[in-house]
Amino acid sequence: MDTFLQQLINGLTIGSLYALVALGYTMVYGVMKLINFAHGDLVAFSAYVGLTIFTQFYGSNALSLVNIVIVFCLTAIVVAFVGVLLERLAYRPLRTAPRLSAVVSALGASLVIQNAIMLIWGPNMEIFPADVFPSTSWNFGGVIISFTQVIILALSAVLMIGLYTFINKTKIGTAIRATAIDQDAAKLMGINVNRIIVTIFVIGSMLGAIGGLFIGIYYRGLTFDMGWLYGLNAFIAAIIGGIGSIPGAMLGGLLLGLFNAMISGYISTEWAETFTFILLIVILILRPTGILGEKTAEKV
Amino acid sequence: MNLKNITKTIALSAILTSSLVASDVVKIGVQAPITGEYANEGQSIDNFVKLIVDEKNAAGGLLGKQIEVVTCDDEAKAQKAAVCAKKLANEGVIAVIGSYTSGATEAAQTTYFRKGIIQTSDGTSDSLISNKYWTFFRNSFPNSSQSDFTAEYMVNAKKYKNIVVLSDYSSYSEGLGDATAASIKAIGGNVVFRGKIKSGTQNFTAMLTKVKAMNPDVIYYSGYYTDGGLLRAQQQQLQINADFIGGDSNDNPDFYKLAGKAAEGTVLINFPTPEILPYEEAKKYLAAYKARFKMDPPSIWPVTNADGLRAVIEGVEKTNSFDTKKIAAYIRSMKDFPGITGPFNIREDGERVGAKFVVYKMNEDGTKKVVSE
Repeated sequence: MDTFLQQLINGLTIGSLYALVALGYTMVYGVMKLINFAHGDLVAFSAYVGLTIFTQFYGSNALSLVNIVIVFCLTAIVVAFVGVLLERLAYRPLRTAPRLSAVVSALGASLVIQNAIMLIWGPNMEIFPADVFPSTSWNFGGVIISFTQVIILALSAVLMIGLYTFINKTKIGTAIRATAIDQDAAKLMGINVNRIIVTIFVIGSMLGAIGGLFIGIYYRGLTFDMGWLYGLNAFIAAIIGGIGSIPGAMLGGLLLGLFNAMISGYISTEWAETFTFILLIVILILRPTGILGEKTAEKV
Repeated sequence: MNLKNITKTIALSAILTSSLVASDVVKIGVQAPITGEYANEGQSIDNFVKLIVDEKNAAGGLLGKQIEVVTCDDEAKAQKAAVCAKKLANEGVIAVIGSYTSGATEAAQTTYFRKGIIQTSDGTSDSLISNKYWTFFRNSFPNSSQSDFTAEYMVNAKKYKNIVVLSDYSSYSEGLGDATAASIKAIGGNVVFRGKIKSGTQNFTAMLTKVKAMNPDVIYYSGYYTDGGLLRAQQQQLQINADFIGGDSNDNPDFYKLAGKAAEGTVLINFPTPEILPYEEAKKYLAAYKARFKMDPPSIWPVTNADGLRAVIEGVEKTNSFDTKKIAAYIRSMKDFPGITGPFNIREDGERVGAKFVVYKMNEDGTKKVVSE
């Protein structure tokens, strides 16, 4: 039983990270019908930015809570800026171009960010300082949960609930939903679509930045090509949940994390990835729009 | 002149210049991961080769010719390695040092064999010498020698009852893991679990939680330091009270950085690391390396590769020719060539014989203490 609960915690931790990253994919897709392949690399970029700020400003030990909050905010701002720049340079000029051109542009942007990371920080592995958070952990009858895990789970939950409320209860949220349904109609209603898209990139990049920082703090080793790994998993999570749907991305991320942990724990680690993709195929066959994706009539 | 003619002319002149240059230099290739996960090892291999080549060139070169080093980055990937092999062969190198990983070495082996280019690598996978290519010789020691030593240490010296053996999927790590599990069983030890992780995935908690339920006394990991350090850190986070023993490729400063506080008490089994090599040659070359590159080599591997290069140079000088067949035959006939990493003896199939291992224990500050030899 404690093994099962432990796998549950393991799965939820990595699942929340996938969910945070998946939100960036799903929001951009929802509004622009574009798969932002550069998002994973933006996540890797934020881990590096976070590491630089950590080490430059505060040295590698003795981080106070205030400092950590400052690092998170600074990283989120820097990454949001890069995200907006990405939209401006790589996607906006192609807004009216065929969708394939935008996808190719996204793949190109992904390579640009990846190589930029390599040129700025070098090809060697960079390592996050140990104990950014205290290395405390609690033991509940054999189930171990660490302070870092608690922070990851709690902050992810807060961010996701916050985002859900923002999208559903505020005026800008309503505008975002309207833009997602029909950009032209939204324009006619007086919504500034460009501003909405910039907002989407700011929010998506900031969530990705928090995800990237958590990845850095929890897993410690950063490589310039790590964005691909987390990007791919988050993308799968977004599809499982229903790409374009915000609760779908959260659910998809958590499900993917749990599913992976359970398969690794009870069937075989060797087969975990194979089963993940089988799950993806099964879900797409049964519900082509994902678990929480809405059926939409194709525009002719 | 149309485009086709221009290209032809350029190609022709390139061939002409290269053959002209080729007459007063001799080229030696380096195939190593200059970028990617194992970049610090690859760069160090390249550095060490350049150190030895520059020393040789300053002393008049090789049989009167200056040595030119041609480096190709294989990123420790098999596909890139195959491309590197073709590229280095086209460059006309007589010998290739590398690569760092067994997988990348193996992918390039056949090309070098067909072109008659000598290749020497630190790759420890047993399969590297299974083809018995006359062009290949190993400058480190094979997994099988390490696995016997490791099994002996775990079963007889430490008397572990429940042993877990983990590896990744690379040909080196999987080979060493399988060999170690087999050696443990052969001397009556109990392997409760033999598992594999996917290198680079960073999240190993699922596997470790599974392992925890088996109450192991020791977890042995035969992969690379980038995953080993994380495994060790996550093992401590999950409070699995087992010793951790790492195979040779965990011996890298990054292991301690990744494992953080958990690094303390980690046991590593490896060839003697550079700084404790007792040989005359070692003191001389390691001091020269440090003076030039302002740091120590990250592990023993760049040093064994340097020995591979020195053996090739010795072969050229003793046979007084650049005929790779003669050089390869000479290297196999050498008796106790004074290598930086100890006496250098190569068997007929290209295997380096006379393995020596050391058991280290990590201190809190990342320094190492030899606990047994």
